[in-house]
Amino acid sequence: MKQARLTVSPQGVRTGWLRRAARLLLSAVREIFDEAAYERFLTRTKVASSVKAYEAFRKDYDVLKAKGPRCC
Amino acid sequence: MKRILRILIWVAISAVGAVALGTIALHRGEQISAMWLVLAAVCTYSLGYRFYSKFVAAKVLGLDSHRATPAERLDNGRDFVPTNKWVVFGHHFAAIAGPGPLVGPVLAAQLGYLPGTLWILLGAVFGGCVQDFVILVFSIRRDGKSLTEMAREEIGRLGGLVAYLAILSIIVILLGAGALIIVNALKSSPWGVFTIALTIPIALLMGFYMRRIRPGKVLEVSALGFVLVILAIWGGQWVSQTPGIARWFTFTAPTLAIVLMIYGFAASAMPVWLLLAPRDYLSTFVKLGTIGLLALGILAVRPTLHMPPLTRFIDGTGPVFAGSVFPFAFITIACGAISGFHSLISSGTTPKLIRREPEARMVGYGAMMAESMVAIMAMIAACVLQPGTYFAINSPAGVVGTAPEAAAATITNWGFPVTAQGMHALAQAVGEQTLYNRTGGAPAFAVGMAQIFSSSLGGVVMAIWYHFAIMFEALFILTTLDAGTRVGRFMLQDALGHLWKPIGRTSWYPSILATSALIVAAWGCFLWQGVKDPLGGINSLWPLFGIANQLLATVALCVATTIIIKMKKARYGLVTLAPLAWLGSVTFTAAWQKLFDPSPRIGFLAHARHLAATAAPGHELSQLIFNDRLDAFATGTLMLLVAIVLAESVVLWMHVLAGRKEAAVKESPFVMTQFAAEEQG
Repeated sequence: MKQARLTVSPQGVRTGWLRRAARLLLSAVREIFDEAAYERFLTRTKVASSVKAYEAFRKDYDVLKAKGPRCC
Repeated sequence: MKRILRILIWVAISAVGAVALGTIALHRGEQISAMWLVLAAVCTYSLGYRFYSKFVAAKVLGLDSHRATPAERLDNGRDFVPTNKWVVFGHHFAAIAGPGPLVGPVLAAQLGYLPGTLWILLGAVFGGCVQDFVILVFSIRRDGKSLTEMAREEIGRLGGLVAYLAILSIIVILLGAGALIIVNALKSSPWGVFTIALTIPIALLMGFYMRRIRPGKVLEVSALGFVLVILAIWGGQWVSQTPGIARWFTFTAPTLAIVLMIYGFAASAMPVWLLLAPRDYLSTFVKLGTIGLLALGILAVRPTLHMPPLTRFIDGTGPVFAGSVFPFAFITIACGAISGFHSLISSGTTPKLIRREPEARMVGYGAMMAESMVAIMAMIAACVLQPGTYFAINSPAGVVGTAPEAAAATITNWGFPVTAQGMHALAQAVGEQTLYNRTGGAPAFAVGMAQIFSSSLGGVVMAIWYHFAIMFEALFILTTLDAGTRVGRFMLQDALGHLWKPIGRTSWYPSILATSALIVAAWGCFLWQGVKDPLGGINSLWPLFGIANQLLATVALCVATTIIIKMKKARYGLVTLAPLAWLGSVTFTAAWQKLFDPSPRIGFLAHARHLAATAAPGHELSQLIFNDRLDAFATGTLMLLVAIVLAESVVLWMHVLAGRKEAAVKESPFVMTQFAAEEQG
């Protein structure tokens, strides 16, 4: 039986690392732009994304966000 | 073998850092490459992070990977959410990076690149990064409590009150100074005004798109907004070259000030989703992209610094701001070295996202290092300009006059050659009528950035890059302006709600309108004084902002030192006590000089006396004298309040150290984290 690790080429390792870094970057960007927060809201309230759901999210989230200071 | 290799690597980093610092500190009479600053910064930050932050984490704070954070214990999927450390790092950096680290170093460049650069590097490693890190950890151990709450619990009720007043004052002064920077950048600039004006309908369109057309697709709409902003910059060129239309967008400074006040009021009173949220996203998108682009540009061009390491203005006679290196360099550059405002972010959203306690090191200490690097880039952008050009842009009319030939002659006499023809050609190249008397730092930064961009990316004319940089800074500041007005409004409603309950209701419209108007009037007062000030306004407003910001850092470091002493770790107290002592001496000296210095260019009261003795009486004169006295009152009040907190803290430390008071910290109880077990499993 072939061992799985033998099939991973050095190039594969490099691509894997890059893919992980890109995924991480995308997660950070999605967090900064509140897309992740909206996803969590949908999971928490168990509703699908819609105009109404997004309105509810903003109503809930804007109070939190608007009270937070923005730095100088 | 691996250990020896590691040691050798760190020895090499130290040696390279020492050579780079030696080069920027010791070269006299010859220009050096900006890469020396970059190299010195990278090595200093690497050493600071690897050794100093590790020492603080292990010995002082005792970060515990087994202790559950509030994000884990109170996880509600809303504000308490365990999040990947790199994601929190990005989030925290985006929140702390504002216009401050771009403006401060540009203004401080009048002293030469050396004082500012050394302060940015050392101030960040030993002060700013430490402050952000320890406040973040202490907030994590107190369920994400705010600085005000921690000050009240650990120092006393007065500590909380002072923190509250300092925060409100900083917000008001910051907004006044920020608005003044925009006014100075956009006055008589139809191109700039057109571009910035268009960002409002673009933001409204984005708000509509993400709410109605593609709910929640913020990244997508931000990219779309960015494309529209670029089109607005391109359109601005056409507007500026069409005289009939250009005059609709050509405003004087007072008119722009009034427009900004109306905008601030409207943005504060409008629903967040309509304007504030989309503008915030657009600004963040542009901010992160531009900072990255600037870093790449500097690495690609490796520009030469034309500014000398030290200028003759270290004696305090500089045209950009008055005052000698000590203390004014250290309050002019706040956000890139140490900023009290960061302690609000470190005790705001971020502690509620940290998944494991040790990750606070990378987020708190690391993100401040990144912010400090932004300040180094701003210093480079200012110092790549010819010094004569830098002073022509940044000197107020009250110092060099308004006639181009006379201004050029005055600046040349200072030892920084510049010609009226050269300045005219530069103004033409960036698509402006004039670049004289553009105080505030933004235009000088924009010219420097445009020079770097146009030489690294070529093909695109300087005018487009200049207006891209102006748009970027104005967008940055406008976001701070509308969000800050709103935060100030909430704070005011909170406080006034104790006196009369209905005004504390954040959804009650009469209260929204009244408190928004009060906050706008407060910062508008500072803005108006800046616009009317013959010395350009920034000379009095920026130091005032620096003093207020650093006084807040003093409060944050008082809280941190108090907690460290209560943790029975007084032997490590110097970690926060040393920056506190430095900051205290800098800030109190600056505040004292701004109050009582006999030179009218430095002391507010001396300036009021000078005006009363020399100027012709009239409404404008009494207004200028009132402004000076208002600045003096604000400075004196802040200084007094922080002195009280400092005294209260010192008394408390002595009681605790002498054993007369119990050393009890108000931490949340220890709970074992589940993440460690999951990772082992």
